[in-house]
Amino acid sequence: MMPPRELPRPRALLAEITYRCPLQCPYCSNPLELARYKSELDTATWVRVFEQAAALGVAQLHLSGGEPLVRRDILDLIRAARDCELYSNLSTGATVADEKMIERLREAGLDHLQVSLLDTDPQANDWLAAAPSYDRKRDAVLAAKRIGFPVTLNVVLHRHNLERIGEVIETAFAWGVDRLELANTQYTGWAFRNRAALMPTRAQVERAQRVVDEKLAASTGRLDVVHVLPDYFEEFPKACLHGWGMVFMAVAPDGAALPCQTAREIPGLQFPNVRDSSLEEIWFTSDVFQRFRGTDWLPEPCRSCDRREIDFGGCRCQAYLMTGDANATDPVCHLSPHHHLVAEALAEAEKPAPPLAFRVMRT
Amino acid sequence: MADGIRRPVLAPHARYRWDKVRSEHQLVFPEGMIVLNEPGKAIVELCDGRSLREMVAALKEKFPGAEPEDDVREFIGQLAERGLVHDAAE
Ligand code: SF4
Ligand code: SF4
Repeated sequence: MMPPRELPRPRALLAEITYRCPLQCPYCSNPLELARYKSELDTATWVRVFEQAAALGVAQLHLSGGEPLVRRDILDLIRAARDCELYSNLSTGATVADEKMIERLREAGLDHLQVSLLDTDPQANDWLAAAPSYDRKRDAVLAAKRIGFPVTLNVVLHRHNLERIGEVIETAFAWGVDRLELANTQYTGWAFRNRAALMPTRAQVERAQRVVDEKLAASTGRLDVVHVLPDYFEEFPKACLHGWGMVFMAVAPDGAALPCQTAREIPGLQFPNVRDSSLEEIWFTSDVFQRFRGTDWLPEPCRSCDRREIDFGGCRCQAYLMTGDANATDPVCHLSPHHHLVAEALAEAEKPAPPLAFRVMRT
Repeated sequence: MADGIRRPVLAPHARYRWDKVRSEHQLVFPEGMIVLNEPGKAIVELCDGRSLREMVAALKEKFPGAEPEDDVREFIGQLAERGLVHDAAE
C-alpha cells in the first residue's frame, strides 16, 4: 500500500496489553466498563502488531496496562520488541515484580522501567491504591537500581498528595532513580468522575511549584525532573500527543486501535481492530485516525487562531467530557466559549472535597 | 548543570537508534526522541566519558576542515538540560 506522502508516520505505540491490575487508582485512565474489554490479544498477535509498528515507523514502544506484568508472556513480548529494534518502556505498578523478574526484564532487552508511586507516605499510597503496595514498589525500584536499570518514578499529583511534593523529590533521590515524573491528574476516565475529589486548590498548585524549584536548586545529585502543570490552571490547552493521528497510536487489550488512549470515551467513533486490519491501513485510511487529524476539522475560535498548529484545539476527550461535543475547542483554553466550565471546576476545588470513589473490576 | 559537564556520557535511559523507515538517526528516551543530523549523531556516539577536548579532536578528524568546538558545547548543553547526558565524574 502506498501511504499518502504528506501524512506523518507514527513514532510511538502504546500497547495496553491488559486491563487487569491489582491496584485501583482513583485517577486511572482505563475505560470504565472494563467488562467490555476482557478478551485480550494473544502473544502471536501482539508480536505481529510490534512488527507492523516497526515497519510503519514506530521507534518507541510503551508496554502498559493495567499491570503489564500480570501477562505470563511479558518476557516474550519484550524480546519481540527488541527483535524489531524498538525502544521499549514498561510502565508498572511494580507490586508483582520481585528481584528475579526485574533481572529477567533487563535480560529480555527492556530499555526502561517506569514505576508508579501514589504517595510517599506509605499509608496514603496504600489507601489510594486500595491495596498494600508501597513496600513492594520501593523494593522493586531498589532492585532495579542495583542492576543499573534506568528507572523513572511516576507520581500522579492531586489534592491528596500535593502537600508532600517535597518528600516525593526526596524519595526519588533516596531511591536513586534517574527520572521523576510529577504528572498532574488528567481528568479523563475514572479521574473525571472523581474530579471534585482530586482537583487541587490554586494555593496548593502554586506552593508545589515553589517547593519543586527550591528542592532542585538546593540539590547536587543527578535527577531529571519532569513537572507538568495541571492544564486546568493554564491559559492554553496541552498539545495532546502532538495532535490526533500525528505521531502516536495505542492498541487496547482487545486489539482496538486508538488515536488516543482515552478516545473510547467519545461516543460514535468506530475503532478498527488489529485482528482485522494492519496497522498501516489503520493509520493511513481508517476514519477514526482521520477524524481530528490536522486542522481542517477545527471549530472557531481555533480555526482563526495562530496557535492552531501548536495545540490543535486541545484534548478531544476533555472537550467531549466537559461540553458534550467532541468537536469543541478544549474548554481549558481561555478563548473557548465553554471556559467557564473550567472556572467552575476550579471554584469547586476551593471547597471541601467529596469522598474518592475507587474503581473495582467486576469479573 | 550544562556548562559544568567535562566528560559527557549518555544517560542510561537514552538510546541511539537508526530508523530504517525514515532513514534518520534518533536519540530515543522515555518521553520522546530527538532526530539527529550527521554531526549530532557523531557527537552522541562520542559521549562515552571522554573529555570535550577529546571529542572535538575526534570530530575534526572525522569532518576535516570543521571547527566543531562551539557546536559540541552547545549541543552537549542542550542534551544535559534534558537530562540526556551527564558528567562521567558524577
Ligand atoms: S492507574 Fe492504577 S488501577 Fe489504573 S491501571 Fe494503572 S495501576 Fe492499575
Ligand atoms: S483557540 Fe483553539 S487553537 Fe487557539 S489556543 Fe485556544 S485551543 Fe488552541
